[in-house]
Amino acid sequence: MSGHGVYVYAIVRAGRGGPGRRSAAEGGPGAGRRSGAAGRSGGRPLPDGVRMLREGPLAAVVADAPERVRPRRRDLMTHQELLLALAEEGAVLPMRFGMVARDENVVRDQLATGREAHLAALDRLDGRVEMNLKALPASDALAALVTEEPKVRRLREEARRRPGYEANLRLGEAVSEALARRAAEAADRAVRELAALAEAAVPGPDVAGCVRNVSFLVRREAAAGFLSAADRLAAAYRDRAELRAVGPLPCYSFAAHEPSSAAGAAV
Amino acid sequence: MSTTYTDEVVCVPRTGTLYDTLELILDRGMVIDVFVRVSLVGIEILKIDVRIVVASVDTYLRFAEACNRLDLEHDTRSATVPELFSGQAAKKIGKRKVKKAVSSVGDTVRKAFSGGDGDEDELEPEPDDRPRRRTSSSSSSDRPRKRTAAAAR
Repeated sequence: MSGHGVYVYAIVRAGRGGPGRRSAAEGGPGAGRRSGAAGRSGGRPLPDGVRMLREGPLAAVVADAPERVRPRRRDLMTHQELLLALAEEGAVLPMRFGMVARDENVVRDQLATGREAHLAALDRLDGRVEMNLKALPASDALAALVTEEPKVRRLREEARRRPGYEANLRLGEAVSEALARRAAEAADRAVRELAALAEAAVPGPDVAGCVRNVSFLVRREAAAGFLSAADRLAAAYRDRAELRAVGPLPCYSFAAHEPSSAAGAAV
Repeated sequence: MSTTYTDEVVCVPRTGTLYDTLELILDRGMVIDVFVRVSLVGIEILKIDVRIVVASVDTYLRFAEACNRLDLEHDTRSATVPELFSGQAAKKIGKRKVKKAVSSVGDTVRKAFSGGDGDEDELEPEPDDRPRRRTSSSSSSDRPRKRTAAAAR
């Protein structure tokens, strides 16, 4: 133990892989080096220092926490890559970035007390992945916007007739508003189509610059079809929105036992 | 049940860039009360990076500028995009120019927020993690290249 606590990546079923062989290397976010000599999960090597902490039918994927966990790029990448690797091999309850327990006993107690809920959540997510769609304004399709938006066209003509700060401000604001509105409309149509390929859909956190951010719960075997459909929609709406689909991801947005009212709201 | 397909073949994972999933890593996933959530001071700055459309006076003026430079005079009702760029000012304007004006908005935002003490790579976005749209428009080689130092890492 490093004395700084235990960084918790995820909760999984204990039976899915051997308990990782304990490594003496300092672990936690930042210890992203891959090594075949480290612990294994379902045959795939875990990064140095990452190990399985078993408690009954469950296991926590943990590492010794460094003195200070910070949202550094490599720490975020380590977290993400490990969860991606775990998710490829079976159901996983991904922890939010930066969860640290005081020591292993706290983690074991949690696995024991939360056992039924964790197992139920793992059952629910078994064979599922998360797909995420973000919609950004199509800001390089300005010509299409000016051509198709009467208000923008009018303000543009005014700004040309009587150039000035105020006129430009009004024009730019109208452009910005129209970009966001057109992107949101296109995104909503895309979300409706994609929701038909998913078992659930929830809005993601607000992201600066994105007009929509939606996560979908998709059966693993449907993920490829989902991406194809998303690409087709992205091409169809390219003048209105930039649609970016990623996945398969660990089920970040569907792991909570009791979805919050916000997360559970219909898209 | 999971042996009836090979997902490596059926589905090439598209995990995107860190920016495509950052908010999920930070704001979703399980939270367990008895665990401590580490402080994420500084993360707001990571989040704000690269998203170019920001409601601000600066953005408005740049959009207006890009908009004013479009040549729609020939026929504003029926012009198609190729027609829009085939006018007399096409050399100067073009889609690339608009893109450039727009991306410089993002540059401004980034510059405003990423300057600082350079505390390791905590807040420092690297080009690899930008959305692909930036690299896909890399034909505009005259775009100012920032962060070459970061790219070398």
